[in-house]
Amino acid sequence: MPSVTALLVSQERNPPPELLTALAHEDVAVEVRTPDEALEDRSSAEVLLAPAAMAPRSLREISRRLSENGPTPIVVVYAQNEFDDIEQHIRLGHDYLVPPFLPPLVRARLRSCYERAKLSHSMEEIQAQAELLSYERELKIGREIQEGFLPEGLPTLDGWDLDVRFRPARKVAGDFYDVFEMVNRRRLALVVADVCDKGVGAALFMALIRSLLRHTAEHSGLQSLMTAHQSTGADPSHVIPVVGATPLMNAVVGTNGYLTRNHSGQGYFATMFFSVLDPATGSLVYINGGHNPPLLVAREGGEPTPLEPTGPAVGVIPDCAFALGYAQLRPGDTLFVYTDGVTEARNAEGEFFGDDRVLALLREPAPSGRALLERMESALREHSGAAEQHDDITMMAVHRMAVPV
Amino acid sequence: MALSVTVTTSTDTATINLIGELDAASAPAFHDTIEQAAAAGVTHVVIQAHELTYMASAGLRSLVFARQKMGDEVRITVAGPSAPVARTIRQAGFDRSVTLVDE
Repeated sequence: MPSVTALLVSQERNPPPELLTALAHEDVAVEVRTPDEALEDRSSAEVLLAPAAMAPRSLREISRRLSENGPTPIVVVYAQNEFDDIEQHIRLGHDYLVPPFLPPLVRARLRSCYERAKLSHSMEEIQAQAELLSYERELKIGREIQEGFLPEGLPTLDGWDLDVRFRPARKVAGDFYDVFEMVNRRRLALVVADVCDKGVGAALFMALIRSLLRHTAEHSGLQSLMTAHQSTGADPSHVIPVVGATPLMNAVVGTNGYLTRNHSGQGYFATMFFSVLDPATGSLVYINGGHNPPLLVAREGGEPTPLEPTGPAVGVIPDCAFALGYAQLRPGDTLFVYTDGVTEARNAEGEFFGDDRVLALLREPAPSGRALLERMESALREHSGAAEQHDDITMMAVHRMAVPV
Repeated sequence: MALSVTVTTSTDTATINLIGELDAASAPAFHDTIEQAAAAGVTHVVIQAHELTYMASAGLRSLVFARQKMGDEVRITVAGPSAPVARTIRQAGFDRSVTLVDE
């Protein structure tokens, strides 16, 4: 038996000398304490020895105290003649020693206690391990299901180059993006969104919000849920219906209404950039619901143009108004849409990647969507190094190819 | 990076002092304080944000949570937020449900 530490607790500090001799013989380091001393002590021991006359409750207290500084000790009681006292301890799973305290007998007894304790510790470990594995498996399933809520691939359009990057911080994500055709394939919907918070809760709301947006946009027809925005439009140029604007408005207003009516108690919301592109002309109509402004990178380079919020985050404020924003992508221009996981990526010192770095990287025009994302990605990698990724990172680039001369 | 949350309550105002970073890890501590303030039945909640260095989206969610716990008649003020924190709140459009004051 390896050398073992034992704490012998006795009110009168008078353990049977034969027992002490036997323990010493077996290379067990024994400390003798009164119960009060044992409770005050900051020591640990593998074996807790006590007379059977001691109340199980006091022993439990001492055992708990010991386990704060080390392993939970094996409790062994001894009796010299009050053998009836042993019963209450046996019922609690304590071990016991009875005379004669001959070294070989004590050794055999302690060895079996020791083995038993080791076994029960490994059982606890195995159980904890198994629980962990089962959580991991569940999360893996969650991740696979969530992948089904992202588009399978990106459409290829003549004259356009689309690319995305999606890097969840954990197994499941609150970020999402979506790309789908609308209005008899005449328009392309482009969505990047960030559900607040992270982890499983955010992932469940991601699935809901993505589905509400896409379903409403695909099925809204041309009837507007928000007749108000057409009749109150002060700027006459915006009263002219833009193809795709109605499904866009219906999707965002409908999703906001659904969330505030049915889920307001849970406090989840999403910031989102939802845009509808006319691939033939490069004109873009969008709603920015509280999302960090996407940046329009001009073919000449220079300061990118931010597409500022046109309404609040979706899912918080009932019956709020969302306005439409308009932008134009000329051949050679690129739109960069991203989530705050990019700007809030930290390095080992805790410093953010920040807006300035993003802007600096976008002052140069990009030859393609992929080239722009690779530029951003490698800068992010260089900044973050081995630091832990705190938030989901999503980036989308929409590049209109330059017309060949 | 941790968050320190302290609260002092007078008859009608709960003042919550936030120091550090409000993110997914620290939001629960803030939630507990909000619930305390709601239970105290105050009519005004002042969130002292002078020393709040960062607010993640989980922190924005805390503001939504506060708004919902408090009921419409309770005024919620975020006092002295740094430029990045104020921008995070404004960008999400939450300056409609809480009042931002520079002081």
